[in-house]
Formats: sequence, C-alpha cells, structure tokens
Amino acid sequence: MDENAVINETKQYIVVKLDGEQYGIDITFIDNIVRMQQITRVPKAQSFFAGVINLRGEIIPVMNLRLRFGLSEKENTNATRIIIVKPENNAKIGILVDEVREVVSLEEEDVEKADYDEQGINLQGVGKYKDTLISLLNIQSIIADLDNA
Amino acid sequence: MDLSQYLEIFIDETKEHLQTLNDQVLILEAEPENIDTVNEIFRAAHSLKGMAGTMGFKRMQRLTHDMENVFSEIRNGKMSVTPDLVDVVFKCLDAIEEYLGCIVETSDEGENDNEDIINTLNACLEAGGQATAPAKEKSAAKEEKAEAETSTDDDKRKFLHISIADFEKNAITEAKSQNKNVFGATVYIDENCILKAARAFLVFKGVEAVGEIIKSVPGVQDIEDEKFEFDFSMLIITDKSLEEVQKIIANVSEIKEVVIEDYEIPGDVEVVSSVQNKEEDKPVKKEEGKKKAAPAKTNSKPVANRSVRVDIDKLDVLMNLVSELIIAKNGLVSVSNQEGNNTSMQSFNEQIEYLERITTNLHESVMKVRMVPIESVVNRFPRMIRDLSKKLGKEMELIMTGEDTELDRTVIDEIGDPLMHMLRNSADHGLESTIDRLKLGKPQCGTIQLNAYQDGNNVTIEVIDDGAGIDVEKVKASAVKKGHITQEQADMMSEKEAIDLLFRPAFSTAEKISDVSGRGVGLDVVKNKIEGLGGDVEVSTKLGEGTKFTIRLPLTLAIIQALMVEVRDEKYAIPLNSIVTIEDVMVSDIKYVQQKEVINLRGTVIPLVRLDQMLDCPEREEEPENLIVVIVKKGDRQTGLVIDNLLGQQEIVIKPLGKYINIHRMISGATILGDGEVALIIDSNSLV
Repeated sequence: MDENAVINETKQYIVVKLDGEQYGIDITFIDNIVRMQQITRVPKAQSFFAGVINLRGEIIPVMNLRLRFGLSEKENTNATRIIIVKPENNAKIGILVDEVREVVSLEEEDVEKADYDEQGINLQGVGKYKDTLISLLNIQSIIADLDNA
Repeated sequence: MDLSQYLEIFIDETKEHLQTLNDQVLILEAEPENIDTVNEIFRAAHSLKGMAGTMGFKRMQRLTHDMENVFSEIRNGKMSVTPDLVDVVFKCLDAIEEYLGCIVETSDEGENDNEDIINTLNACLEAGGQATAPAKEKSAAKEEKAEAETSTDDDKRKFLHISIADFEKNAITEAKSQNKNVFGATVYIDENCILKAARAFLVFKGVEAVGEIIKSVPGVQDIEDEKFEFDFSMLIITDKSLEEVQKIIANVSEIKEVVIEDYEIPGDVEVVSSVQNKEEDKPVKKEEGKKKAAPAKTNSKPVANRSVRVDIDKLDVLMNLVSELIIAKNGLVSVSNQEGNNTSMQSFNEQIEYLERITTNLHESVMKVRMVPIESVVNRFPRMIRDLSKKLGKEMELIMTGEDTELDRTVIDEIGDPLMHMLRNSADHGLESTIDRLKLGKPQCGTIQLNAYQDGNNVTIEVIDDGAGIDVEKVKASAVKKGHITQEQADMMSEKEAIDLLFRPAFSTAEKISDVSGRGVGLDVVKNKIEGLGGDVEVSTKLGEGTKFTIRLPLTLAIIQALMVEVRDEKYAIPLNSIVTIEDVMVSDIKYVQQKEVINLRGTVIPLVRLDQMLDCPEREEEPENLIVVIVKKGDRQTGLVIDNLLGQQEIVIKPLGKYINIHRMISGATILGDGEVALIIDSNSLV
C-alpha cells in the first residue's frame, strides 16, 4: 500500500501557454487568476517586470513571463491573464501569461524529472499529458536571483 | 496556574524599574547624599524583587534582594555611597538586564547566578557598617510600626463588613477547630495602577499557594473584570502565620497597603486586638510610612504611567481600516468628477466633505495613539555616556533636550540603534582626550548634546559635540589610502562631498580600532537605517570646534498629503511636505551651469531635474514653451522637478510595492487612486 501511495502521488498543475509552448505551474502556489487589468509601469525595475497592479487594495508586482524567458513582447489579448502566485507567506507576485488552458492532474510516473535550464529558468521536469508535453515551472527559481537577473 | 499571561506586564515593568534605577543611580553618583534618590532606588529595587519572586525568577530575586539590602543600609545612614559601590550597582543592573533579556527570549531567566556580583555586594554591605546595625534597625522598625498603626483606622478594615453565609461560617469554625488560622484582609492597590485585575490576580495566586480564600468582596469574577475600586477584601484560611500571608500579599508590586487581621465571625467575639502591620524588619511598611509622610516627593516619577500599552498589531489593523476608508473616500471623489451637473450633486458633495472630515479626524487620532515620546529611546543614553566616559578616560557630559518630542512608534523602535551609534561616535572620535582639551584651552569636560524638536511635518534630532570636528583632509587621505577614491578625485572634492565619504560602507578614520567604535560599520548603517525610515542625515563641522549631525525624520509613515502630477500619461505623487512652490518657467529662461539645466528663481539658482527622463518616459514630440516646475527642498537645498501636468492635492495611503520587484530609490512606494489605478510616489529627497 505504502509503495502504491508514493507511486500514485498526483499533483495538480495549471497549464498556461506562451508562444504555443505549454507550461505547468504547481497549483499549491497559486493564489488567484485575474483578467488583464491596468498595469502601472515601474521605472528602473528589472526589464521583465511589467509593473504593479492593484489587487483589492494590495499592490502586487507583475512579471511578464515572456520577457523573463527572453521571448519577444506581445500585444495583450482577451485571453491574457495574470496568475497571482504566492511563493512565500506574505509575498505575492503576478505572472503575465498569454493564455490559461486548464488544470491537469499528473501522476508522479508521468513526470520526467529533469533539472535543466531554459534561459536561466529552472524547470522542475516535463510532464506527459495525453499526447502533449508540459514543462513544469519551478516557481522558486523564477523568483530567485531576481536581483541579478 | 499559568503565569505566562503576566509575563509581558512583568517584562514591561521590569524595564521601567530598571530605567528608574539607572537614572537614579546616575543622580546618586553625582550627589551621594541625596536621600530622595536613595529612597527612589530602594523602592524600585524592592518592586523588582517582589515581581521577580512572584514570577518565580529566583536568581533575579536573589540579586535584587541583595541590592535592596545595600540601599536599605544606605538609607539608614549606616553606609555611604562610594564610587566603587556605584560601579557594583551598575554591574548589578546590567546583570538584571541580562536576566530580563533571557526572559524575553526564552521565558526563563537563564543559568547565570552572578555569584561574583552578589559577593561584592555583600562585601560592600559588611564593609559598610556592622555593629550598631541590629539595634537601630529594630527601633526604626518599631517607629514605623507605630506610625502605620495610628494611621490605620477602622475604615480600612473593610473585610469586617463582609457578610458571610452559613456554609462559610461553618468552614471558618471547622478551620479553627483544626487549628488553622483564619484571616481577614483588605488590600489597597496603588491608584496609579493600570492593571488592577492583574494585581489582584497575583495577590489571589500568592495567597492560594499557602491557603484557601473562602470569600472575597467583590467576587472573583468582578475582580477579573476590573469591576472594583482600588481595594478588595477577602477571608483566608491558612496554616501560615499572619506575617507570612501579609508578606506574600505585600510582595505584589503596586499594592499600596495590606490590612490583615485574625478573623472572627461577627457577633461571636470582639475583634482580636490588632496585630496588623507587624512586619519586623521588612521594609514594605517603612516604605509606606515614608510615602505617607512625604507624598509630594513622588512627583519625580516619570509620567509614563499614564500611557496605555497597546498591542502594535491591533493598531496596525486599525491603520489598515483607516486606509480603506480613505480609499473609499477617494472613490467617491472620482465618481463625483465623472457625473457632473446633477441636482443631487450638492448633497453628494456635502457627503464627501463629511466623509473627509471623519477620515481626517480618524487619521489624526489613530496617529496620536501611535505616537510615542522619544524619551523611551533616549533615556538609556546618560548611562551609556557615563560608562563610555569611564572606559575612554575622557570627561564628558550629555545634555538632552526635547525628550518629550513624539514620533511614530515604528520610527521610535528603529531609531535607537542609529542614535546610539552616533553618540558613541561623538564620544570616541568627536571629543578629544581630556589632556588635549586642556592644551587647546577648551573646558576640561567635553559636551555632547542631543536635541530633538518638531519642525513642521518632520522631527529633527541633532547630535552635537564640541570636540575636534572632522578634518576633511584627513578624511580624504584616508579614503585615498583605502582605495575608495583616487588622489585626483580627492583634490576635486568639495568639503561636503568629502564629509559624505564618512557615510560610505567600511569607512573609518580612526587609526586604531577600539571596542567602542572605529570598525567603520557605523555611519553607513546609520544612514541606511534613517533613509529606510524616510529621513535623512546631514553633517556640518568646524575643525577644532565640533561636529553636528542632523537627523530629519518624518512624523508619520503611513498616510501623507501629496501633490498628484502627470508625466506623459502616467500619474505620480510627490509628498507635499517637501514642496516649496510650483512655478511656470519659460524654456528660454533655462540657463546652463556645467552642462546642467538651472533656473534663476528670484535670485536663487535652482537645478532642474527632468522627471520624464529620470522615469524613462517616451520623448515628447515637441518641447512646449512653458514648463511646469515643482520646486522641492531637502534641508536648505532646492531642486526643480519638471512635470507635464498638475492634477491636484490628495491624501494618499502609502503602500509597499511588493517583495520581488527592484525599486529605484527615487520611488518610495505606491498608492491606490480613487479609480483603483496605482500611482507611484516620488521620493523627492533622492532627487535633490
């Protein structure tokens, strides 16, 4: 039984799209998903920060994931969303993505562990879902080393 | 029973008593004959001992007990105050502070017995005076007793009026048949006591440890709810003697008086002759006797008693509510701007005005709750300077003014360390050694001044010493030697720039490192901390005459008045308190000094800062003929900020920008406007 429990451990991920590629974000980190709203630019901040938004009286910095990955900037569309992620207690950060697709459950065996870098972003691994591949983002590494980025 | 809920009270009060002790011992050092001071010290030491005992901190109790003994001797004129004794007492206070530190962190006093200090204290005690002691003591005690007795009339024995039910009567009779003691007691709590219920609880707890309380008036529940005046009565059944019970009760601090007697069921027999207040050598009664004799002397007590201790978390919640309220108000304002020409417009506006009045008042009153006099930070400095004076072998004195200046609690909590750094700096680097001072014809004793005062929306704190001043050339040379700057840079530097070098990390001019200062971690930390609080530091110095550090701090941090401006299509807030004027400037009037834009405003040359360039805004297609310039000041320097549009004045709530985004120092935070949009706040101090 114990063995089974380990093997069958499932985790839920929110699948987002960036330029046709699919990324998964661990649902336990996600606080909220909001529609695109007015973003106030913050001068002299890191280049991949779009600015700050007002989320019910709280001011939250928003990172443009496209820019963080070194992709080009893209017009916002109706599908653009800001995912509010809570990597630590009392600290939130918004992540701007092209589109939010769905929530998937991946079992441990469907995830291929891989610690490789993509533009300095550490991926947790790659998940197989139906016949597509989902790169699982390591949230901690996205927010780590922001000072040097 | 669990004492942890009283731990906080204990910690706060111990701090207060320690402060009193420090202050008074300092006075005593200057005037060894001052009997008022000795009394004050004695009282504080005694309260400390009682409190430590109640809380079960045995080591601390022992130390304070021995300290109390020494002062008891001094008070009775059997010992005199010597410099050695003062040193020991200071060591003693440090040790108590250490205990307290342990208690704060672990709720336990730690393992240090401080045997050596206790031994020294006792040695002092023995050396002081022996022989005649016992006899004198006795007679003194007797006098006190007599005094106390006469002053206690029947009125004080309120417990005689306790009505008792049959079953209580039975309990008393039964207890007596078992040879147990039955006492009636009335406890009077000091009128200045803030937490009467807690005091009463400590009394109950103490008594219950040795016996049983069969009845109390008012009832236990009422006492817990503080539904009583300054006294309460109770009936106690115990094995212990009258003196022991009385001692237990009197050991709780802020108890003014305990009237306790054997209790007889009313109507049975006459009340047994009063044995009250038979306290032998125990000083409690004496203390009271003195208090009664000279009530006017208590006016030297700090007014801190009147303050209410409020949990800072609760205040923060309150603050947040107020900020929400202001945001709501701003929402109303923006709606009103959109609607326009309606008949209901006027009443709508009235509503807004009303709301505005409420929020302003609310803001002010909440702010007042958060304000704390700076005294709570600076009152430990005289002691520090005294110790430094001994350690460095320099004569110096500290003159403080404006201790009652009030600052926001958050600022107060942070300002202590920077101020301490600066004072240490002045004492170590600033003042010359006593010999040098005499050679220079200066007064032998160096002076350090600490002045605080309110200046508009700021509070200014000055640290002034009459020492050697800063040798600018020496600073430059040292900076070159350590590789902070090149020789050419040094030659080009103005005096002001050179002094700013002192605030660089890891910079120190002291040739040798002492354990007081000189490691170079001082001034840059000071500067960082103060700028983190939204303030700034300035230095002015005159070689040979002294140095003056001026710290300017904002009164409050959370809600400010700001001018809303537009740069391109972005909105920014500039704090109103730094704005001098707003000017309309013709582009043709702009002059150039060293390739920098300046304007000549009524005879003052003011540098211009193009906010659009600073903020990386897109270029404007064509330059307008007139520029709107907001003149801001920092200290006596002024700068003009070029903006595109004025939007008006608004009360804004400062919010942090979140953890992960890097913020340039010219942006001090953000605020939420009425329509939900976020506007950044410009820290004009960083642009001047």
